[in-house]
Amino acid sequence: MIIYLKKFGTTLNSRQFGRESFAAFNPSLQDIKKDEDIIVDFEGVITFTPSWGDEFLNPLFSRFGKRLVLKNTKNPSVQASLKMLEKIYKGNFKIQN
Amino acid sequence: MEIESKLLTIGQAAEIIGVSIQTLRRWDNSGKLHSVRKKKTGNRYYQRDGIDEFIRSNSKDLFSLAKVWVTSKSEVELSSTLYCKDSSVFQARLSRLEKDLGEIQRLKETYPLISAIAGEIGNNSFDHNLGNWPDMPGTFFAYNLSKGEIILTDRGQGVLTTLKKARPKLSTHQDALRVAFTEIISGRAPEYRGNGLKFVRNVIATNKISLFFQTGNAQLKIAENSSDLKIGKSNIYLRGCLVLIKF
Repeated sequence: MIIYLKKFGTTLNSRQFGRESFAAFNPSLQDIKKDEDIIVDFEGVITFTPSWGDEFLNPLFSRFGKRLVLKNTKNPSVQASLKMLEKIYKGNFKIQN
Repeated sequence: MEIESKLLTIGQAAEIIGVSIQTLRRWDNSGKLHSVRKKKTGNRYYQRDGIDEFIRSNSKDLFSLAKVWVTSKSEVELSSTLYCKDSSVFQARLSRLEKDLGEIQRLKETYPLISAIAGEIGNNSFDHNLGNWPDMPGTFFAYNLSKGEIILTDRGQGVLTTLKKARPKLSTHQDALRVAFTEIISGRAPEYRGNGLKFVRNVIATNKISLFFQTGNAQLKIAENSSDLKIGKSNIYLRGCLVLIKF
């Protein structure tokens, strides 16, 4: 399953917005197959903050672990935010560029 | 009737701009900012739109305006061009900032980082004061791209009061600022999950961005390409936060 973050907007900022985005997407996760990867694609995202990222990625990271794959993460705000979240979670994201 | 309802008294205009009534009279006489008079020798009034436009075009001193707003004892009405009353207005204006920054050639590689740190700081104001604003809710949010600066200010509870919920032993604004910028709070700790200011510091450490941050009587400065925190004491107290990002 691929989640295209740009569908939520190009400015992904704030906990409130992150929570709302995850809540909107959450029902789609019911369709996921047992061994299927969850690919989060950052293509097209311009501003990405740890607050939004924490609210959206933390539930996915906790539930799917290494089945969570992040893609197109070259944007500097994406890079910096992911680094911050890895420190908080004390674990690394699986990144595929 | 419609026009009259939008007229401000000279006192109201002075408060919004953050200057004295005498200054406005002087500016009227010199032609810098014209007033409207109902009678030739009557009181001076000002069109609200004219004041907003004046603030926009005289934005060279946005930081002073923000300082006046955040330190004033009572609520001061703020030009709508500078004020985000809630997080949805802030989000919309952050997108605008992102677009404006993206058009600056020298920031081609780094502008997402600048809008990201502005976003984190601005949203802290809303996240940590929701339902607890001491008086006027919202943030002062303005930028001057030719000067390379962004100003974010709120009349909220300030960093110390907010952090005390997670760290009850904190007693000074200086210590609260240091904790806010250096210590990672557990990802799912109850009440407080603010790691935004650590992110701000990390970004500044490797970029041509500097920061000034005041809360209470504590002032913090981080120079560009540095993660060193210079924390000092200010003679002026402010309850919320006053922030200047330079790039």
